[in-house]
Amino acid sequence: MTTADTPEYLRQDAAVAARFERLKQRPVALSVRGLTKRFESNKGIVTALENVNFDVHNREFMCVIGPSGCGKSTLVRILAGLETASEGELLVNGTPVTGPCPDRGMVFQGYTLFPWLTVKENVMFGPRVAGRSRFSAESEAREWIELVGLSKFENSYPHQLSGGMKQRVAIARALANQPKVLFMDEPFGALDAQTRANMQAYLLEIWKKVDITIVFITHDLDEAVFLSDRILVLDANPGRVREAVEVAVPRPRSFDQLADPMFMATRRHIEHLIHPPRAAETESFPVLRMAVADPDVL
Amino acid sequence: MSLRGCLTGWLAVRRDLPRGKRTVLTILSFLLPLLLWCVVSYVPFIWHPDVKLTLAANTERMTAVFTAGNRVSKDYFPKYEEAIRLDNAEILNAQASKEPVAGAKRANRVLLRQIAPVGIGNGWLKPGQEQDDSAIYRIWKELATETKTAGSPALTAENLAIVKSNWALLSEGSAEFDFAKLPESPLLKLIPQGVPSNPVYLPAPDEVIRAAMADFTAPRIGENPTMLERYGYSLRIILLGFLWSCVIGVPLGILCGVYDFFARLVEPFVDFFRYMPAPTFSTLLVAVLSAHDAPKVALVFLGTVFQMISKTTRLLDPALLEAAQTLGTKPRQMITKVVLPGIMPNLYNDLRILLGWAWTWLVIAELIGVKSGLTGFLDTQGTFRNFDRVFPIIILIGVTGFVTDQLLALLHGVFFPWAGKTGPVSRAVASAVAWPVRSFITLTRRINAPSDLP
Repeated sequence: MTTADTPEYLRQDAAVAARFERLKQRPVALSVRGLTKRFESNKGIVTALENVNFDVHNREFMCVIGPSGCGKSTLVRILAGLETASEGELLVNGTPVTGPCPDRGMVFQGYTLFPWLTVKENVMFGPRVAGRSRFSAESEAREWIELVGLSKFENSYPHQLSGGMKQRVAIARALANQPKVLFMDEPFGALDAQTRANMQAYLLEIWKKVDITIVFITHDLDEAVFLSDRILVLDANPGRVREAVEVAVPRPRSFDQLADPMFMATRRHIEHLIHPPRAAETESFPVLRMAVADPDVL
Repeated sequence: MSLRGCLTGWLAVRRDLPRGKRTVLTILSFLLPLLLWCVVSYVPFIWHPDVKLTLAANTERMTAVFTAGNRVSKDYFPKYEEAIRLDNAEILNAQASKEPVAGAKRANRVLLRQIAPVGIGNGWLKPGQEQDDSAIYRIWKELATETKTAGSPALTAENLAIVKSNWALLSEGSAEFDFAKLPESPLLKLIPQGVPSNPVYLPAPDEVIRAAMADFTAPRIGENPTMLERYGYSLRIILLGFLWSCVIGVPLGILCGVYDFFARLVEPFVDFFRYMPAPTFSTLLVAVLSAHDAPKVALVFLGTVFQMISKTTRLLDPALLEAAQTLGTKPRQMITKVVLPGIMPNLYNDLRILLGWAWTWLVIAELIGVKSGLTGFLDTQGTFRNFDRVFPIIILIGVTGFVTDQLLALLHGVFFPWAGKTGPVSRAVASAVAWPVRSFITLTRRINAPSDLP
């Protein structure tokens, strides 16, 4: 295949290609094999996920994206152990796992901080239920809180924090357990655009500093491209892996790259995967039948 | 605030009033009913359908016997007066005939006592002296000779004339009381007097306050407990019943909320039981537990326990349980680490409301078996139509319930500062309570902390 035939989003420059090479050399942190999930509803059996297979390497940032109803939330809930798969298995560092476990952290879309605990106590929660002493858990919690930049608020209660701050605490709380993989189910979905952008930058900062593999569910294309190494695109009805797209946008990422040709090409490619362009559809748009302003005014 | 500011802005659609106006309205909401009560009680022409007798007389023309303090309706009172006047006309005839009447001395002694309420009202007689004939005789004398003038109640000119006419007859016999020297012919009856009054069930505020002062300061007489003892007794019953129902109901409610097993096993029956009013079990409870405190406590318990097995636990956001799971919480830790702390504020509020309910059950509980406590008193005084003594008890129960409720509501902010509904007062209380604890913790930490930590 010549360079001219290669789609633009695949044209990785040397540095990016080398980075992906290194990434693939790393051990597999999370491996999903033949994952299938069926629900029984009153309309019969619904297949939410069908034969989903993928690997996530150590320290990889993977986004999962897909049209609504593709089962991305179901997928992450199964991965976190909150639901059980009908078929297939899930391996963390090569060992099959079932049920929730502190080696897989989770950040939810809703603010699931424990409202009766202060920020610090929330972050201490995981280590404490694991039987760690208050003293060691507390000093460690302080470090995680510092990492997410909330040291000033360590004694505040969640109701006193803004949405973005709450999610930062939720991230610190998940990280305090030192999980191998962190699942994030549309964590910034409820935030306003400004906060959301800040949080994305924050998350990349944290990811850079902490040895963690992230699987991030989103429905926001820009977010997916901006954050991830690879994007797992799912099909809907039933949920299947359509393609695992390698994002060739070089790191470190910045918001300037949003206008990058590579960024745009990747984004367009994924958009086409999720919403295949159909010529007929564009034709059938209703025509606005109203007196339009004079051409010279335009 | 300017005058204009005071007058405008009270009716803003769907908008909270400023603090000053809210305070004014809060005070008014208590003041208005009180004011209404005062107006109805003290302004005669508003209602006052009855006449309260300050001076009563007996006659055979009427079927009922009245004493001072009784109430007769406004329409009836003139007929009553007229009847006595007719009696007096007959008596005058009898006096004119100068013939002794059989049993007149005895009747006259009783008649002389008619003046006793006037004597007591003016402070010439002490309560209990209503049959002290020599003292009463002196009053007749002093009124007739005008050495004393009745102020409250005052005597009408008609009655004063009767007093004088009677004294003329009496003084013929003796200046001091002597049964043997009482006139042989009948004396004139005093015409009944009265003041407009409200029905017996609506005593005036001052009457209620006086009755309350008397009742609450009354010493213990024999087996009759003091009001404070009664109050304590009522509180004991309500708290015991409530405590039992907390001990049984709360854990059961939590188990039902957490485990479907318990929910399916317990809730259908509980939902059914709720429809059986607790008082229907009263006779049964007395039969089973005998007539002392036990059936009363049991009634309060029955009335509240099934409300406690509520669905509060299910209101806890299930996402919190999931979050706890992903953080490695084991199932056995789930209740103590997540469910209990999470439902506490709601549970607390439920219990607060139920404590209010418990007072309802208490009132019924105190009437079963041996009547006791505040309600026992209420029931007895109600039977004697001493409503001025009934009102203080009703108000006491109301105030107790209200104050407890407000206090517990205030403490909600102290106990659960994280629930985010903390007002300024409870925040202040909370920080005052928490301060010694917090400073102690920081102090011990400073002592224990290794030096290499910040």
